[in-house]
Amino acid sequence: MSRADIIFLLPHLMLTLGAVLVMMAIAVRRNHFAVYVLTCLTLIVALYFLPKTASLPHNVGVLFVVDGLGVFNTMIIMLAALAVALMSYAYFDTREERTGEYYMLFILATFGACIMVISGHFVSFFLGLEILSVSLYGMIAYLRKRERSDEAGIKYLILAAFSSAFLLFGMALIYAATGDMTFEGLSGYFSAFDELPILVMTGVGLVVVGAGFKLSVVPFHMWTPDVYEGAPAPVAAFISTISKGATMVLLVRFFLAIDGFRFPVVLTIFTVISIASMVVGNILALRQQNVKRILAYSSIAHFGYLLVAFIAADELGVEAVNFYLVAYFATMLGAFGVVTVLSHPERDAELLDDYRGLLWSRPALATVFVVTLLSLAGIPLTAGFVAKFYLLASGISTNQWLLVILLVVNSIVGLFYYIRIVAVMFDSAEEREARPAGYVGNFATLLILVVLLVWFGVSPQGLIDVIRNLVGVG
Amino acid sequence: MNAVQYLWLVPLLPLLGAVLLIVAGRNMSKPIIASIGAGSVGLSALTVIVIGVAFLSNPDVYEISVWQWIAVGNLTPSIELHLDALSLMFIFVITFVGFLIHLYSVEFMGEDSGYARFFACLNLFVCSMLLLVLAGNLVLLYLGWEGVGLCSYLLIGFWYEDPKNGYAARKAFIITRVGDTAMLIGLFLLFATFNSLDIETILSAAPSRWEQGSSIATVAALLLLGGAAGKSAQLPLQNWLPDAMAGPTPVSALIHAATMVTAGVYLIARMNVLFELSPVAMTTVGVVGAVTLLIAGFSAMTQTDLKRVLAYSTISQIGYMFLALGVGAWSAAIFHFFTHAFFKALLFLGAGAIIEALHHEHNIFRMGGLRKQLPIVFITFLAGAASLAALPLVTSGFYSKDMILWYAWAGEKGSGLLFIAGLVGALVTALYTTRLVIVTFFGYANTRVSKRPGWRMTMPLGVLAALSVVVGFLEVPHNFWHAQLISGFLGGVLPAAVIDSGIEAYEWALQLLAAVVTLGGIFIGYFVYMATPGLHELVKKKFPTLHQLMYDGWGFDALYTLLFVKPVTWLARASRGDVIDGIYTGIAWVAIAANRAIATTQNGVMRWYVLGIVVGALLIITLGILV
Repeated sequence: MSRADIIFLLPHLMLTLGAVLVMMAIAVRRNHFAVYVLTCLTLIVALYFLPKTASLPHNVGVLFVVDGLGVFNTMIIMLAALAVALMSYAYFDTREERTGEYYMLFILATFGACIMVISGHFVSFFLGLEILSVSLYGMIAYLRKRERSDEAGIKYLILAAFSSAFLLFGMALIYAATGDMTFEGLSGYFSAFDELPILVMTGVGLVVVGAGFKLSVVPFHMWTPDVYEGAPAPVAAFISTISKGATMVLLVRFFLAIDGFRFPVVLTIFTVISIASMVVGNILALRQQNVKRILAYSSIAHFGYLLVAFIAADELGVEAVNFYLVAYFATMLGAFGVVTVLSHPERDAELLDDYRGLLWSRPALATVFVVTLLSLAGIPLTAGFVAKFYLLASGISTNQWLLVILLVVNSIVGLFYYIRIVAVMFDSAEEREARPAGYVGNFATLLILVVLLVWFGVSPQGLIDVIRNLVGVG
Repeated sequence: MNAVQYLWLVPLLPLLGAVLLIVAGRNMSKPIIASIGAGSVGLSALTVIVIGVAFLSNPDVYEISVWQWIAVGNLTPSIELHLDALSLMFIFVITFVGFLIHLYSVEFMGEDSGYARFFACLNLFVCSMLLLVLAGNLVLLYLGWEGVGLCSYLLIGFWYEDPKNGYAARKAFIITRVGDTAMLIGLFLLFATFNSLDIETILSAAPSRWEQGSSIATVAALLLLGGAAGKSAQLPLQNWLPDAMAGPTPVSALIHAATMVTAGVYLIARMNVLFELSPVAMTTVGVVGAVTLLIAGFSAMTQTDLKRVLAYSTISQIGYMFLALGVGAWSAAIFHFFTHAFFKALLFLGAGAIIEALHHEHNIFRMGGLRKQLPIVFITFLAGAASLAALPLVTSGFYSKDMILWYAWAGEKGSGLLFIAGLVGALVTALYTTRLVIVTFFGYANTRVSKRPGWRMTMPLGVLAALSVVVGFLEVPHNFWHAQLISGFLGGVLPAAVIDSGIEAYEWALQLLAAVVTLGGIFIGYFVYMATPGLHELVKKKFPTLHQLMYDGWGFDALYTLLFVKPVTWLARASRGDVIDGIYTGIAWVAIAANRAIATTQNGVMRWYVLGIVVGALLIITLGILV
């Protein structure tokens, strides 16, 4: 590894350094605030060391590709992590005495995600994914005294391990057939074929299974609502954004490298998954009374939508995926942020009834939630609309009419359960006990997220230009 | 670009005012509400004046791009404001008269519990109206168009506790919707032809795309006329305006007299190229105007409600504007809009002061003798009434109406019939105006004055009264002296009216005729209502059917109830449990059933989840082998 390589990996190294420092800090003396500040500082320093765009792309050995796509998404992940960290402090401060280890796991999980978005090799792919997963087991089950905490952790542990086996086996099959594990090398191998050998095809299929679990697309989605429900709200935010986003970027990189959509089989598989995710996610959310589960189903549906642009896989499609991820991150973080703020120390504010009359009792918070829900539903003048519009544009430009029509139909179905939450918040208020005092960090985060949602909805051109410059294929 | 680039401030300020009042108005004190409500429009008016000064020093057509949303593919939706002489005149009237009326409302609505709601709606109206006249493309214009319709609806039904007001609001909304629908179809037609809704693009492409007199141009122009007729209360969609008087009087002054109802005039003037392409459409506009001005004028003669007299008079005066548009006298129409905005707003505000002073008495025959009790109101009202009646030489109404009559007679597109209609209308106008003034201000005081208006009500009256007289001198006939400021100002935007050759020499004869007719009307009014008491009762008894017909606005309400309302309500009742509903409930039912079915898979049992993953993997591998 040369000196230049180290400079390009500095953000990632900073994260590992942060994890070690947090571990040492806890060993010396437990202080929640100090550890929290250390975590935020780690993220900020890591963001500072992001490579300059002029020097891209740069390959670090065969394992990592530091290019526009990677750097942009590393930045998005770190910013999202910062938002989750800000929410976590308020959340854990009122609930748990032993808080330090959470931050160590948190930094490591972020590190895993950041590795995934720059990996160009099956080894770094798998290592990144596992660093992320193993840290998440602990984070999901962190509030040990809670009823469903262990259940969620164990479920995630077993199912993630199970699907990792598929992933690993798929990689092995591909390696057995090609003798190569770098995306670059595979690209040369795949371009030689018009039709894939069954062994390779099976390998790709099993990789899709492993990644599909992380993306929680149908039929690998069933864990999602249970885990979101059992996990602390900030962790649910982490899973629904960072974990899924990193996997998505990795898939984009892999399938662009092997030019996977040349093969009708791959196209069919993803089309089926996309349609199933949209339909099942939305329909499951219809009569759901638990807000965290609604958000889980909503995230399933949203990754169904996102696959429309993924399948397009041209320049517009990659732009659309990135824009969508930014909009989706901001929206989901905002939604879970509201859940976090409203949660009681004993249980999270997850029932629809917890939100009844919120607009009258806490108008500012309710407004934030309304904006995020409208963005999830894709109402114009929010980031969600522009993002969805982008998906439609890329779907239409590649003539995926079936997907485009289903996307529109499903958006209408989705409106029902998003608007229902809004309607509940408009209900007349009932008397309720005083709520715990808020934390500045929470409110600042929510404010920034809402401003971003509206800003990207009203004037998205700036972000579009940035993405175009950084991520543009070719 | 100088000051003109701040044009976006003009609609933005009232919008901010409206948003502020909607969000936080509930918790504000009345002085704060008043300063936000009136202040935002006042600042907007100041901005217009600054922009106007800059514009006058460098008249041009300004396109100001305010906002571009996204550029994905070849779709680039954006908002562009368009400022030229025509829109400048409109925004001046909207903000300036608007500000005076806001100021008046501060006192007029002072006791009302819906204070913040009132100013929020009024501010929103001003913003929408400004967008309508500043729009660079028809979509934005349509947004403003519907925005003013919405505000009109909200404000007519402002006192919603009384079901009658709600009915009037719905009536206004539905009847104007009929016109709006025609207009929308017209917009689709324009888009289908020109692949754009940008006004400049359409106007510059139309003459080469459509032949002079082609039927498609006629259809497009007539569809736009439909929208204009609805908004401007012209035949056959005129009957909503008298009922719209159910709203607070400042609303009647601003929306249903000075600004919104002239939106139709603006639309036709703005799209003048389209109308010039179709002689049929031009004639239709002229005939609609002529007939409307007559029937509304006759109705105004019989009304007893002070505001309804003014409402019919508004319909009639807009009829004059349509008549002018129809004969191609574009500048004359806009000039009449300009003078009418001042004197009609003045008359309404004066009426409001009277009604307020007399315990909400609307019937003019229970008023009387107010000349001495409300002297300021009397003097200002008299100025407005003189202008409405077109009293020769000293009033603005004379000059603008004279210009219309002149072109109706001498213009290339004018005709004898249109001219005679205008002349008869002038007689009728003078007659009902005289009747109104005499019955209200002279004779016995039937009701005692309980409360006198304060300075915030009298000041706007004074300013408007002065303007009602002065603005007329901006444009005086050719044969007086040379001061054609308005038509010169509008010359760059609107085509000049062409007159038959050799006819100029007779202009003085026409002026004399018009003056005689007006004075005759005033004299008849004086004779019937003042000099010979009881004569008007006699006339009324002599022709009871005719009187009733005019009083009811020529029976249009009854006709429409029979033709449209009854069949539609019958249809609605007949199809109560209809099939169409079944489709939607069916979709909902299917979704719920699917939800129940799939929800069973989310049973929390992990074996089951593992099974899901395995089945997924098997499916993928099978697909991989089969496809």
